[in-house]
Order: sequence, then C-alpha cells, then structure tokens
Amino acid sequence: MYTNLVLDDRIAEQLAADVSLNSSIQVRCGNSNAFNVTASTLIPLMQMFEMGGVYICASVGAAERIEEFKAIGLTDEDISRIQFVDLVSSGILGGTDVAYTNIHFVDSPIMLESVLLRTLYILRMTTSARNFVFLDSVNALAIYNDDRMLAEYLHTFINTFRQREVLSVILNVPDQTPPLVLANLDLYCTDLIDRGQVLIN
Amino acid sequence: MQSTSNYTRDRCVTGIHGLDEILRGGIPHGSTVLAAGTCGSGKTTLAMEFLVRGALAKFPESCAHFTATEPSIKLLENIRQYAFFDMKMVDSGKINVFDMDVLYSWLGLDKASFDLDDVHALIKAIINIVHEIGATRLVIDSVTTLCYKIKSEQLIRDFLFTLGKKLASLGCTTILISEITSATENAHWSSFGVEEAIADGIIVMGDVERMGHLLRFLQVVKMRGTSHSRAKHAIELTPLGVMLTPMLKWGAQHDKTNKVGG
Repeated sequence: MYTNLVLDDRIAEQLAADVSLNSSIQVRCGNSNAFNVTASTLIPLMQMFEMGGVYICASVGAAERIEEFKAIGLTDEDISRIQFVDLVSSGILGGTDVAYTNIHFVDSPIMLESVLLRTLYILRMTTSARNFVFLDSVNALAIYNDDRMLAEYLHTFINTFRQREVLSVILNVPDQTPPLVLANLDLYCTDLIDRGQVLIN
Repeated sequence: MQSTSNYTRDRCVTGIHGLDEILRGGIPHGSTVLAAGTCGSGKTTLAMEFLVRGALAKFPESCAHFTATEPSIKLLENIRQYAFFDMKMVDSGKINVFDMDVLYSWLGLDKASFDLDDVHALIKAIINIVHEIGATRLVIDSVTTLCYKIKSEQLIRDFLFTLGKKLASLGCTTILISEITSATENAHWSSFGVEEAIADGIIVMGDVERMGHLLRFLQVVKMRGTSHSRAKHAIELTPLGVMLTPMLKWGAQHDKTNKVGG
C-alpha cells in the first residue's frame, strides 16, 4: 500500500505492545532515516489505533511534509485526520500561500507557548476520540531556542498532553540535540523508540 | 497551631480558558476589575468572552456592554469572527450593547468635559440600565475614553468609587477596560493613576518581545478577596476564545515587555 518506502514494522509492534494514550514517546532517529522513522511511527498510530492528531512541523514546512506523506501512499482522507502546525513557512516569503486547509501557521519556532496553545485549540476542535501530538523535531527547535528554555518547554509539553490523555510523540536526532534537552527527554518520556543509530549493511 | 479560615467569597466564573484557574475559581462576585492593556493585547476580546460565557452559563446571566471606543455596530462586526460569539445573544437581549455616545446624547452630556452633576447623572443612568435589565456582568470599554471627559482626578476617583460600590450592591461583576501605553513592571495600570487604586482587581495584558516576535501575555497583579497566581501567562486569541498557558520561565531572559510608542 505504501509505495517507495519500507516501513519499520518493529516500531508498529512496539507501539502495539507498550503505548497507551497518556504515554509520551521519545523517537530517536538519524539524519538519513528520519522520514522512514516518522512514517513508521505515524502510520500505525492512524491505522492500528485509529487515531487523529496534530503534527507540529519545525523541520520542514507542512505542505512539503504532506506531499511526502502522499508520495508514500497516504490518502487525502488520511491527511485530513491530521492538523498541521507549521513553524517554518511563516519565515519564508510566500510560504503560507498553500492549498491545504488543515495547516495552522505559527510565526516562528521561538513562539513555543503559541505552539502549545494552538495545539490545545486544535485538540478542542477535533472530533477524533483518540489523538496524538507529533513534534517534528526537537533538534529543529533547538536551532532557535535556548537549551534550558527548550528543556522547560518539553517538560510542560509532555505533562500538558499526558494530563489530557493525548499521546505525545517527540522526534529527535540525538547527536544534534543539546545534552540537557536529551537528558530531560529521557527523564520525562515514558517510552523510547530508538532508531538513532543507523546500520549500514 | 494557627487556625485557618475556610471562608471563600462567591465567584463569578469567567468561563475563560485558564483564567478561572489563575483566580482559583473566578472573580469574587461583585468586583470591579480593571483590564489594563496596550493596543492589540486582547482586552476587548477577553471582555466580550466574559459576557458571552455568562450568557451561556448553566444559569444564564444578563450582560451589558458599554462601548466608548468604537460604535457598537463595528464592535459586533469585529467580534463575529469568533466562534464563541453568536449574534442571537444580542438579538435575544442576553447581551445588551450600548453606545456611550448615544447615552451622552440621551443625558444631554454632549460636551467636552463633565462636572460633578454630569458624573452623577452618568452613574445614575448606568446603574438604572444595569438594574433594569438585571445585568450581573458588565463591561465598560473603555473607562479611559470615558474618564478623558472628567477633568479632575478627584472626580474620576469619585466616579469610579461610586459606580463600583453601586454595581457591587446590585451583584454585578464589572470589567473596566483601561488603555495603557506600556505594560512594563514600572508602568501604571491606568491612564489617570486612580483607576488602579479603586479597582478590586487588575488584569494586565500586553506583549512581550522575544527575539523580534510579539507574544501576548496576561497577568493578574491584584484581585481582592481571593488568592491567585501572579505569574505571566501567554495568551492566544482563538476562534473558541482566549486561551492561556504559563509563560516559560527561561523565556524571560530573552523577553522584553513592549512599550508601545515609547
């Protein structure tokens, strides 16, 4: 069904075995497998658990991410179950001129509180009974934000969604994430999907 | 061992996301609260949502809004973009919007400045309207514009004190909107300096600048009759209404509270 990409089935197995709605999952990936790991996590959440949710784009613009999802076989109906919060495109002239109606723009990745509030607003509007919040990615936020502020934010972020029984999925490339932030993620997250080490055959 | 009191005042539950938590349950009933903020900080939206939540409450409250900064037609046109607002609330009389200009004309107060008699006539008219419609939530937007017509500081003090006292006796919880040009720590929360002393509560709204971007904030600096958080909270004006979350503590090292026009 999903063309041009072989999903990592072990991620789906781990999600099925370990994860509940108030879990917070740290997903570690490398530079070269980031999209594969993202898709291998997101698709089972939508297919197996019939979840909807919010995808926070800090790495690439939401429209570009949607096109990538479509290219591997996600349908318009699948995409419509996700609301995207785009922190990238407002910083690019003409970046917010997109055809999709499920993209919400935040001015900048430094407006961390606005990202949280916008996500909470979307969750109040959603009709889906089970929801995730997918943060892509911590290392992109780390470009703009102070380490201690980002660590504090992730603490708030995880606890906010855990309290509301919304599954939080936090993607990061560990060798590009500040040690303080990584240490805090280890502390706060309930589960770890570790694909940070890419094996080369 | 020191005894502790279990006494709590009745609350006017604002219904605004996060604000009642900050206020440990809501605004103490019958209070006069100054909502002081810089331009574009969300004062009018917050005040209008306060009325809407009252009108939509389990036991619906009658609400009144006196507008002095913009005509009621324009106010309602602007507020219609919010999903929490429904024009039917105005049509059905749950929310009553009054133009101060019309009220001035009706009272024969079409003049540049008000004397003591004028002020008392104005108080009487507002109280009569509140009494007549049984309003338990009132907004005056803005008290700054209104007070520009009252030339003496003593008269402003008298106006606000008497109005607040009479509204409290009617069980009406009031938000007075105050326009300020700066929301920094050293700023006054009102244009004339007396409003903040008379008010039972002060909610400050403004912008903090973080690395070139403006982030709206709200802070309850005073609220008589209740304990409350005094932390700065980030706010978003969403179609569902105002939403709040505590501001990041480590963000403060980058943040500058904005001074408009200064």
